[in-house]
Amino acid sequence: MWPILPLLGLIIGVYLGSNFSYQLPPIYIKYMSIAVLASLDSVFGGIKAVLKNTFDGAILLTGFFTNALLAALLAYLGDRLGVDLYYAAIFAFGVRIFQNLASIRHHVITSFRAKRTSARGEKSD
Amino acid sequence: MTKMRWEIPITIVLLCLGIMLSLQFQAQTRIASDLTLQRSETLIAMVRGLSEKRQKLDLEIIDLRNQLNSQLESSRDEETLLDSINLEMGKLQIVNGTTAVKGTGLTITVEEYMPIIYTDLINIINELWNAGAEAISLNEHRITSHSTISVAEDVFSDSTFNIFMTINHEKLEYPLVIKAIGHPSNLEKGLTLPGGIMDNLALFNAFPEITKLEELEIPAIKKPSTYYFMNEYKPS
Repeated sequence: MWPILPLLGLIIGVYLGSNFSYQLPPIYIKYMSIAVLASLDSVFGGIKAVLKNTFDGAILLTGFFTNALLAALLAYLGDRLGVDLYYAAIFAFGVRIFQNLASIRHHVITSFRAKRTSARGEKSD
Repeated sequence: MTKMRWEIPITIVLLCLGIMLSLQFQAQTRIASDLTLQRSETLIAMVRGLSEKRQKLDLEIIDLRNQLNSQLESSRDEETLLDSINLEMGKLQIVNGTTAVKGTGLTITVEEYMPIIYTDLINIINELWNAGAEAISLNEHRITSHSTISVAEDVFSDSTFNIFMTINHEKLEYPLVIKAIGHPSNLEKGLTLPGGIMDNLALFNAFPEITKLEELEIPAIKKPSTYYFMNEYKPS
């Protein structure tokens, strides 16, 4: 079972984004990158939740937008205050992304093994 | 339905993520090609390369300008040459009689009753040349080095008087009009000086009428001569 609808969403999003005539002003690129990182973290967290059956759509959606916005705002605030919160955000979200990816991997592998053993059991029966 | 519960939010989130990713990607590629964010070493190398290129192009511009100047000069030379050739050709045409000319001069009219033969016409014309005439015509025939003035006899005519004068082998009709361009008084004096051609003709009771004119036209020759056997020869 492949998640066709989400993949389609991603492809359409990339297509729309590349067809926008709007160009990001260079000063906002830094904050946009942090927002993208936060969004990636949210997406992986969502996928992890789906696999663990603890998924909540409201949490994902709010998390996605607030994380992105807050990350960008914090980075901006850090720039204003002379504190490089930018790097803190990169660190935090990077760590979380890797944690999420690791648990996704764990889950996929364990579920794959469980499937295989159950299939073998059915065969041996 | 449980499946749909997680698919829709994830799809929305991924859609937004896709838009953000591609925007960010575009912005980043723009930054990579933006000069203000390049490393100074790269910038120095670029400046060096560009200034070298610029020098080369400057040299090329100078080269091309020189070429243009020389071309212009040569074309100017050619133009002046062409102008002078045209001028000379115009002069030669006037002298050879291949163009019609006009100027001050006089006309000499000879009526049929005057006892004048073709040698008298030749004498008058010679006298005009001597007096400084620049162009002469006889009955609208331009007189050139190839003109012939002669007599002919119409053997088929029943009339008793069937001898007539010719110019360029065409019959001369009366009144004969000789036109000459030159200084009018000089030409007249050349003809009427004592013992001159007019005095000679007066002996035979012929008094051609001389009229000085402020402006008269002399036509071009009707058939320009062609040369087949004559070649230039320069004795060394």
